[in-house]
Amino acid sequence: MAEAETKSIDNASIKMIEKAAADGANTAFDRAETMKPCPIGAEGTCCKNCGMGPCRVPLPKGKEETPKEKKERRGICGATAETIAARNFIRMIAGGAAAHSDHGRGVAKLFLAVAKGEAPGYEIKDEQKLLQLALDFGVTIGDRSNNEIAIDIGEKALAEFGKQEGEVLFLRRAPLKRQELWRREGIAPRGIDREIVEIMHRTHIGVDQDYRSLLRQGVRASIADGWGGSMIATELQDILFGTPAPVLGRINLGVLKRDEVNLIIHGHEPLLSEMIVVAAQEPQMIELAKSKGANGISIAGMCCTANEILMRHGVPLAGNFLQQELAIVTGAVDVMVVDIQCIMQSLTTVAECYHTKIITTSPKAHIPGAIHIEFDEHNAMESARAIVRTAIENFPNRGSNIDIPKEQTNLVAGFSHETINYLLGGIYRASYRPLNDNIINGRIRGVAGVVGCNNARVKHNENHVTMVKELIKNDVLVLQTGCSAIACAEAGLMTPEAAEYAGEGLASVCEAVGIPPVLHLGSCVDNSRILMAATAMVKDGGLGDDISELPVAGAAPEWMSEKAISIGQYFVGSGVFTVFGATWPTLGSPEVTEFLFKDLENICGGMWAFEPNPIKAAHLMIDHIDKKRKALGIDKARERILYDMAMRRELEAA
Amino acid sequence: MEYKIEKKKAPGRKDVEVLGATFEEGKPEGEELGKWRQKLESREEKLKYLQSGERYWYGKDWYGSEKRKNPA
Ligand code: SF4
Repeated sequence: MAEAETKSIDNASIKMIEKAAADGANTAFDRAETMKPCPIGAEGTCCKNCGMGPCRVPLPKGKEETPKEKKERRGICGATAETIAARNFIRMIAGGAAAHSDHGRGVAKLFLAVAKGEAPGYEIKDEQKLLQLALDFGVTIGDRSNNEIAIDIGEKALAEFGKQEGEVLFLRRAPLKRQELWRREGIAPRGIDREIVEIMHRTHIGVDQDYRSLLRQGVRASIADGWGGSMIATELQDILFGTPAPVLGRINLGVLKRDEVNLIIHGHEPLLSEMIVVAAQEPQMIELAKSKGANGISIAGMCCTANEILMRHGVPLAGNFLQQELAIVTGAVDVMVVDIQCIMQSLTTVAECYHTKIITTSPKAHIPGAIHIEFDEHNAMESARAIVRTAIENFPNRGSNIDIPKEQTNLVAGFSHETINYLLGGIYRASYRPLNDNIINGRIRGVAGVVGCNNARVKHNENHVTMVKELIKNDVLVLQTGCSAIACAEAGLMTPEAAEYAGEGLASVCEAVGIPPVLHLGSCVDNSRILMAATAMVKDGGLGDDISELPVAGAAPEWMSEKAISIGQYFVGSGVFTVFGATWPTLGSPEVTEFLFKDLENICGGMWAFEPNPIKAAHLMIDHIDKKRKALGIDKARERILYDMAMRRELEAA
Repeated sequence: MEYKIEKKKAPGRKDVEVLGATFEEGKPEGEELGKWRQKLESREEKLKYLQSGERYWYGKDWYGSEKRKNPA
């Protein structure tokens, strides 16, 4: 096997890894090879929270620790390995929750500016979602204009971040039993920022030094992310840009065009990219592109910004996290414009080998060597035009070293919770009933949310695709977001034809409803849509009273970011059994790991697991789903033979 | 919406009246493929849809599995 083939399962990526090597471009795949992870940090037992450290307190290798050794395994300040591992873990949650929530805050600020008429070019596109949030937030509707309603919603949404007392408002969307549990356990978040700041305080030297108490605060902050910051981001983006509905798109590096200006939009926010999509279609821009010898302007997305513009506009998607450098390696990307999160600093170094210009746009995210064109919501169209113009002007500077892989796949995206509800029942009978019925009758065994990143420590996309194929083969309907969704779409799992990989029961339901067995729900803040789908399943009835009773499971088989830990923790905190692959950051403390993998089930009804093998991980999920089916008393249904119409006719004829 | 009543033959009985199909005829094509939210035009229709389609949260008298409980 050629070396590049050991690094990715995706042919387009393999070709570009080889080309990068030939061109002398250093990528994450090379760096992962030359730099191994620090074994102590990887297990969570290195602390650098004060100037007396870093203190390293690893588990002894290859032998049982004596009680005396355990007592002595502490930092200078006396912090035990449990305290250190728990602090590190919840600081990851703080980082992830902060990232999602600050994204949400950015959207809320733009939303308010739009409502006040201070952000030309933007408008309220989805009145229905606006009304929905008015009902959620207790905002008067009456005969008021959309903008008047939106001002109240925007102010309430912004206030959620700095709220000091009470509860995050969207908690009320959760099943009643879940809400009661959060309150009873003292893990209902009060305000979004407050819980994140409290993590930073508790983890400072000499504050909270009981790992159980630290980890409970981690759960509380993560819930503030999933049911707070992320949900605000999703909902307000839907109002501004439209609630996603099924759309056909294309995916992988093959979407880049040799004869057109290629502009890649990378990062996580759709705020500016929505405008870039519009600017690139303006006749004067197309004219300018033609005057430079290009046949047009081609926009493609990368990572979650891509997911956002794909599901609302059908804009092609060039790839996921580990493909960002590889896109530049094609030699055909004229500009890569980035906003926030998961943007490799090395993009500018890779770009030096080619003609690509990297443009940063967020005041929060600068990169030396990049051009900075700041996104200003009051003048977004001008920023967008400047970016498109830069790409066009750079087109003639392309070198001769261009190689665009031909691989590209079709996918159907845009399965918001609202759309799933609609597709299952139609406009007059929108409902999760058909899904619940098919779970009860056993055609669908359960539902899995498979989400998260790429990780250069594991073969690119392999865990995602292997796990998802195993799940659908076993009749588990899969909901996806983020880079995991991109991986499976590249493997062709997001078209109705992918039903061929699904078990008979799941395939029959997919055919009847006309959906793929793997549904694309959007970007990583859109994991909040999975929470809504799970809540709808509970509320529709027949599958218990809480998310923790549903036959569902979650996974992030190639996770790497702090955001993934926050997402996983709010899945668990919402009652979902969640399996992570790749690596696990608390293995240096068996007590902390035990608390997360076992004890949390008694508190939240959900718990974590770690399993790097994607097939084994899928079976942990399936076993959990079967356990829940048994508890619901629907395990027998799967053993019954289900007669479809054709079989009935045959029977009658016999 | 208006419900259509259809007459059908039922085994062992005379004609029976049943509620007709409520789905729209035809398949969406081209640009319109999948764009379902635009079908709801007025604010009243949208609010009504929230109460029916999204009844799990916005229905006045129907809480699904939580029907029997007091709202939190
Ligand atoms: S906080 Fe304690 S364990 Fe951490 S670096 Fe300082 S002394 Fe070491």
